[in-house]
Amino acid sequence: MREGLVASLALVPSVFVYGTVFGGLAVQAGLRPLEVLGMSVFVFAGASQFVAIPMLAAGAPALAIVVTTYVINMRHYLMAATLAPSFRTFPRGWLALVAHVINDESFAVAVARRNPPDPWVFIGSALAVSGAFLAGVSVGTPLGGLVADPARWGLDFAFPAVFLALVALQLRRRADWLVALTAAVVAVAVALVLPGTWHVIVAGVVVSTVGMLALSPEDA
Amino acid sequence: MRDDVWLVIAGMAAATYLTRAPLLLALARRPLPPRLRLWLRLIPLAVLPALAVPMILVTRDGGAARLAASLGHPPLWGAIVVFVLAARRVNLLVTVAIGVAVVAFLRALG
Repeated sequence: MREGLVASLALVPSVFVYGTVFGGLAVQAGLRPLEVLGMSVFVFAGASQFVAIPMLAAGAPALAIVVTTYVINMRHYLMAATLAPSFRTFPRGWLALVAHVINDESFAVAVARRNPPDPWVFIGSALAVSGAFLAGVSVGTPLGGLVADPARWGLDFAFPAVFLALVALQLRRRADWLVALTAAVVAVAVALVLPGTWHVIVAGVVVSTVGMLALSPEDA
Repeated sequence: MRDDVWLVIAGMAAATYLTRAPLLLALARRPLPPRLRLWLRLIPLAVLPALAVPMILVTRDGGAARLAASLGHPPLWGAIVVFVLAARRVNLLVTVAIGVAVVAFLRALG
């Protein structure tokens, strides 16, 4: 668990700052502080929360916001499938809890450290990420946001930087390079034409499935 | 503000949980055939670049997506630095801190 916490330290400042930005934006858009915190605890999926705030403020139908949230978060299906075998020995009640904290950053940390991923590395990372996010939201909500423009300080770049660094650590075989490069090209192409996070879902499903069919299982 | 905020939050929470829990619960218990194990190993190799590379190369201003692959695009240089450092097994925290610093510096210049 310690390993997952330590490995996630690179993300803590950025996750915290984006938590403050979310808290600030949500309050400015008219949400009450308790609603902002409630959404962060019960939804706990940053990208979809950022999208929901302007929709809420603009008076979009509740169903439209819920469906948008679902589509943005569909990428979790891929992460849950990948993580599942690592949690074989955990009781079902634990699994139900662990499911709630599945997030991009902890998934990346866990799969890059061990193959198959270690459940405690994932849990340690999820504690660091959720702690930093909720602390950021709690600080940003009363203050209306601390850092007006995180991009000015390069903080937006911490997220792709971590994902990219963790890909680099996993490239061991020629097939790994092929899968990663193809996924990058497909994702960029899809991101240019489709909104939201469809590019992650499309590239993730298509490239991993083609790889599964094309490679031999001994590569696993 | 509208009066259905908690209803929306509950709906968002349920929709999100529906993307997280079912496969975690369903696949945790049974032994998996080799081909499925291969698929699960390839998912992160496809998902991580699919998350990272569009964040670096695609800019979205108000809905219109654009390929930002010019030499004057700070995240491109940050990404090159991060990839090289990570491939040389430099500590993740150090790698990311340097990448963030490179991007902040180039943006301050530009």
